[in-house]
Amino acid sequence: MNCDDARQFLLLAGYGELSFEEEEALELHVAACPECQAVRAGNASLETLLAQAELDPPPGLLARCRRDLAVRIIEESAPARRFSLVDFWNRWVVHPPMWFRPAGALAMLAVGFFAARLVPESSALAKFTSPDQPASIARVRLVNAADSGQVRVLYDEIRQREMTGSLQNDQIRNMLLSAAADPSDPGLRVDTMDLLKNHGERDEVRQVLLHALRGDPNSGVRLKALDGLRAYARETETRQALAEVVQHDDNPGVRVQAIDLLLENRQPEVVGLLQELMRREDNSYIRTRSQKALREMKASVDTF
Amino acid sequence: MDEAALIRAAQAGDHDAFERLVRNYDQSVLKLATNLLRSPDDACDIYQEAFLRVYKNINSFRFDCSFHTWLYRIVTNLCLDQLRKRKVHRTESSIIDTPEGTIDRLESTPESRPHSDPQRSLLSTEIKNRIEAALSGMSARERVVFEMRHYQGMRLRAIGDVLGTSEEAAKNCLFRATQKMRTALGDLL
Repeated sequence: MNCDDARQFLLLAGYGELSFEEEEALELHVAACPECQAVRAGNASLETLLAQAELDPPPGLLARCRRDLAVRIIEESAPARRFSLVDFWNRWVVHPPMWFRPAGALAMLAVGFFAARLVPESSALAKFTSPDQPASIARVRLVNAADSGQVRVLYDEIRQREMTGSLQNDQIRNMLLSAAADPSDPGLRVDTMDLLKNHGERDEVRQVLLHALRGDPNSGVRLKALDGLRAYARETETRQALAEVVQHDDNPGVRVQAIDLLLENRQPEVVGLLQELMRREDNSYIRTRSQKALREMKASVDTF
Repeated sequence: MDEAALIRAAQAGDHDAFERLVRNYDQSVLKLATNLLRSPDDACDIYQEAFLRVYKNINSFRFDCSFHTWLYRIVTNLCLDQLRKRKVHRTESSIIDTPEGTIDRLESTPESRPHSDPQRSLLSTEIKNRIEAALSGMSARERVVFEMRHYQGMRLRAIGDVLGTSEEAAKNCLFRATQKMRTALGDLL
């Protein structure tokens, strides 16, 4: 073995990639070669320096990646699972199947005809056809020339609308309940939960809060939902959800908030849960909190 | 449930099985991407994209290779693309002419969040800069091979499988990468 071979082998030996025979030949060469001994020492120093440069992902990055991935997978599989107005619009209005186009055009003409008959000229709808308010045109469907020399254009229009009102307004509330379940936008869900959290007295709102606390992939949304359920922490359903969160939520911050809320409204049935937490919870705050509560309740810290 | 059963369940649409598959590998994937790209945000993007591709294409996995090889092939291809894009962007000179004379934009740009990673702050600036420089001087493929062998502990044969090349080619690539690193850190060894 010459020094060039030995230097390549020294590198591979460091990675455990040599056969028994190769390693024996290398050892024989290095034992008699001061230069290769120096290379071996240099390799060891290189290992030490490189070990310092190794990066571990920052704390919380893995959890963030997992949550974002969950959201993206929900988005991917959403069309198959639930009705989507956007997909409906795209499939049947923007790019309708060929067989549907004549029927669709006829239907739109009919709708336009009857709407014009039914709606008085002074109504708000009339404003949309006013020439000084340009419409947002999604697609021109039909053009033809009338005998008078005028041109008639039939087009689809997409409009963004704004609605303002209190949370007592059914329409506003229903839109918020719908936004709370929008898988594509965690930020929207956080803002929605923030608005809904003070209206848990309504059954449908409380159900949305419970659902979000149990299963929303974003911890910010879950924390807002938990906040909204504070006033109902004595109710059985809320306590069950809190117990599930304490045991299964992968975010320690959410688990800490949940255990605090459960213990603020302590009930005897919580003993089993606390003992279970003592057995398997890693978070030191939750363990300490559980231990203290068990002692205050004069319950055994361990299960037997 | 063993891995093959998990994959078959995921192919049949079982979301829990897919999540378990992800969790079997996602820590090492994130670590590989973090070390290769030296940027948590970029690593997070690679993580998302890689597992999303696995999700979309799980039905095309035919057990011709191990799931690990298949997944790492996706991850390394994404990382290679990202590293190559960076190389292209870095060919633009950082030296620009201004009315006050020439300035180096890199020197005039403060490092963002210098203390965000305690490990890096412990490393002396000189060593860190030289290792970073050596990594930048490697080709994207050398960097991937170096990372997979050195930090991920993968065998050269497995690296060859992931990169679609031979064990011998992976070995040569690793040797070149290590030589570059040794040259960069020469007097410190």
